[in-house]
Amino acid sequence: MIKEGRFGFMEAFSIMAIVLVTKIFYGSPMAIIKYLGTAAWYGTLISCVGALIFFTLLYLLMKRFPQQDLFQIFETVTGKLIGKSLILIFAVFLLYKAGINITEFTAVLKVYSMPFTPPSMIILPFLIVVAAMAYVGLEGIVRTAHIFFYLVFGSLILILLLAIPSYDFNYLQPVLGYGLAKTIETGIIRTAAYDEIVFLAIIIRSLQGLQVFRKVGYLTLILGGLTFSVCLICILAAFQYTVGGEHLSGMYQLSRVIYFTRFFQRIESIFLFVWVISSVITVAFIFYISLNAYSRVFNISNHRPLILPFTFLTFMFAFIPNNFAQIMEIHLRVLREFSSVIFIFIPVMVLLLALIRGKKEVKTSGKA
Amino acid sequence: MKEKQKQNQNQNQSLFKSIISLITYKKTKIPPSFTLTESYEESGQEQDNSEQSGSDQGEKEKDEQNSSSKSRRRATKKPLSPSALKSSRVDSDAVKKDIDSNKKILEQQFHLPINKDLIIREFSIGNKQRGFIAYIDGMADKGIINDFILRPLFDEIDDESSSDQQLNSLEDIILTNDTKNLRKVTTTVTEILKGNTALYVDGLDYFITCETIGYNTRGVEAPKTEGIVKGPQEGFSENLRTNISLIRRIVRNKDLITEFHEIGEKSNTTCAVVYLNGVVNPAVVQEVQRRLKNIKTDFLVSSGMLEQLIEDNPYSIVPTILSTERPDRTASHLVEGRVAIIVDGSPFAMIVPVSMHALMHSPEDAALKWQYATSIRFIRFVAVLAASMLPALYIALTTFHREMIPTDLLIAIAKAKENVPFPTLVEILLMELGFELIREAGLRVPGIVGNTLGIIGALILGEAAVSANIVSPILIIIVAITGLSNFAIPNYNLAFGVRLTRFYFIAAGALLGFYGISLALVAYVLMLVNLKSFGVPFISIISPRTKGSRDIIIKWPIWMQEYRPDYLNSPDRRRQPKISRQWAEQDSSDT
Repeated sequence: MIKEGRFGFMEAFSIMAIVLVTKIFYGSPMAIIKYLGTAAWYGTLISCVGALIFFTLLYLLMKRFPQQDLFQIFETVTGKLIGKSLILIFAVFLLYKAGINITEFTAVLKVYSMPFTPPSMIILPFLIVVAAMAYVGLEGIVRTAHIFFYLVFGSLILILLLAIPSYDFNYLQPVLGYGLAKTIETGIIRTAAYDEIVFLAIIIRSLQGLQVFRKVGYLTLILGGLTFSVCLICILAAFQYTVGGEHLSGMYQLSRVIYFTRFFQRIESIFLFVWVISSVITVAFIFYISLNAYSRVFNISNHRPLILPFTFLTFMFAFIPNNFAQIMEIHLRVLREFSSVIFIFIPVMVLLLALIRGKKEVKTSGKA
Repeated sequence: MKEKQKQNQNQNQSLFKSIISLITYKKTKIPPSFTLTESYEESGQEQDNSEQSGSDQGEKEKDEQNSSSKSRRRATKKPLSPSALKSSRVDSDAVKKDIDSNKKILEQQFHLPINKDLIIREFSIGNKQRGFIAYIDGMADKGIINDFILRPLFDEIDDESSSDQQLNSLEDIILTNDTKNLRKVTTTVTEILKGNTALYVDGLDYFITCETIGYNTRGVEAPKTEGIVKGPQEGFSENLRTNISLIRRIVRNKDLITEFHEIGEKSNTTCAVVYLNGVVNPAVVQEVQRRLKNIKTDFLVSSGMLEQLIEDNPYSIVPTILSTERPDRTASHLVEGRVAIIVDGSPFAMIVPVSMHALMHSPEDAALKWQYATSIRFIRFVAVLAASMLPALYIALTTFHREMIPTDLLIAIAKAKENVPFPTLVEILLMELGFELIREAGLRVPGIVGNTLGIIGALILGEAAVSANIVSPILIIIVAITGLSNFAIPNYNLAFGVRLTRFYFIAAGALLGFYGISLALVAYVLMLVNLKSFGVPFISIISPRTKGSRDIIIKWPIWMQEYRPDYLNSPDRRRQPKISRQWAEQDSSDT
């Protein structure tokens, strides 16, 4: 078993908040504004409510097996073979997710900041840092996330505040967007945008009990939902839904419109730090969990020898999309809409199976 | 022919094995790490004790304890480790019962007559028993030897009533303030090397060592690198005893404990471990003892050398041990629950465990009002950021993110750079190199000329470089601010680390602009979060999150600092009651 270390509430909260919120910096706002128009800001709240319901189910599952993490529960409930197969699916999909996240990041960086730098020159140093973080392990990733948590959220708030002169809240009308039914439908489908919360169940043994798990889960989902909603309101208010749906990175564009006198303008590059830092932490976390899952499947006690091949595989995954259209139309739809098949459907099915088969952890004494 | 073929085959096989070993995974040996747990249960104490009993240092201590208590009990025999066996040299180490043998042993040990330092002065007591004293010329105080060892001895000899009883009461005759009975030659030799005098009288199976240390040392002077305006002006000197007395003068507490360890097979350097019993976490003391006892080296001359031998992360660019030359600072850390390690001959105390913020504190902070201290601390943090990242940010800005620079400033920079043939990176590296050269040269040039050289050198070099169109004037400003910021860092070792870190960020900024700097920053923070100082996470309080002591970045008023730092897990967490200014609660008429 890999030694993952232990950490407290704030560290777990920081990593989950960063992982959930990072996608706001990239194509996610564009996609949701395209689908829902002016209703995007509460469409994401519907997704958040869906994620909260899913998390409650996940909590019920974890409560039945308080001494085990999600992967162990898979094996306990479905048996070794199916359990390990499910974990392997998680491992592969997470690696794919890490690769596509890097591609998305690279595409945005190339468009806005480094147009002449080849993608491989952007991806390679990124992956080196990710590999270093994976080498150090979960505790190191989480502590790094906690240190940068304040920087990431502080900068986010700063961007929203500094762009106030550009807001016109009349742009939020018509409030119902393309219709309430479409908003609810898309909102539910896009619950997958918050499905990273499932990672908390994978690292639960590093947390200080089930209560911390519950607290972190609910709070990060609420924080993530509110952050998404507020950011979408600001993007819509600044650019209107027609233009807002065209920007590759709504938040980056928002930071571009900041203008306070001739001296204090075009400061978007400062926020590049936040973009990069939150992306590295997110990818490193996903990459580490993928490594962890793979190690569990084949009973590998030390994940470090796997880092190099997995880095190579992530590099390969990052080069699957040919262009940005492919990233947006295929891969990000897979990640933000259909990933629920893996991250939500499988745990819920396992919960149902546990309920049907009456599987429950025998020894329930201990931390819960 | 067959032999040759066999040899070739063997060579091929070994070559093949070495190639295979290059690509196959080898499990890295992870050294046992020490983590300071929340509860300070003394786990692993037995193990430490067993290790201690095996080492020759432990043997020495036992010998000393045995003799100082004047009991003749032998230390309980325990199996010796191979190293202990080697060093003890069982037979030859015991003190013989006849004077000639003992004298010869000492002569052999000190390479007499080639070595002229050891003085052996023979005498006889009442023409019956022979004896001698041995000391090192220059290390021992001859006045003490004459007046308090030899004179009482001869006075007693002159006294006719004295007889065989003398043998049992030698220690009563000698008037030095401390004597030890040592049954081993090695410990006797160590005592002589310290400056003490060994006395031997025929028939005894032990040496009596008398404290006669009396060599010249530098007096107590103001600290050289930690000077402050407000507060004590005393600094440590090279004398260990003086240093400990300087601490004791501040912390007048019976629980202040000083332990001694001998380190260095050839130098036999004494190191003191100082801590406040009941305040310090015992696990930290044990860990310090464990590390010191398990150092096998031949030579130790400074605290800097010992620091490298005991630190948690030798490859870290950031120091994880705080060095200070101030007794007041050492005392304040002891009272907070830390351990001080002082090396004889070095005017620095090493404080463990420390966290990042402790390195950013200046000794003056304690003496200043909280508002002043807090604002100065903020400046120091800004200084660290500027010293490590300013040149890198300048390169990134002018090379990758020119759109960020306001137009007027951009035109000014472009104008200044117009005649400079080098890229910004080369300019920065040239100036940084020049600055480092001036600094290093300033240190080597003696006296006041060194300081003058630094200022004049920087001025002339900067001016000349701009005139010659080698660098732009803005760059001079950048390098000057960086240099000044580096000097504002209160810890000498940390300032060194930041100097090196600067080049790391310069490389990142030159390669990939802000993107590169961001990645480098994440990697750097990753390194920081994994550092430990004697089991304590180096950036504790931030991550892992612990309760603050109200003296981290913001220095709260002194009466609000009720607790010791949480990460030290002190058994006595509270340092003062909730209301320490109790006079404020009283009615002024109640006196």
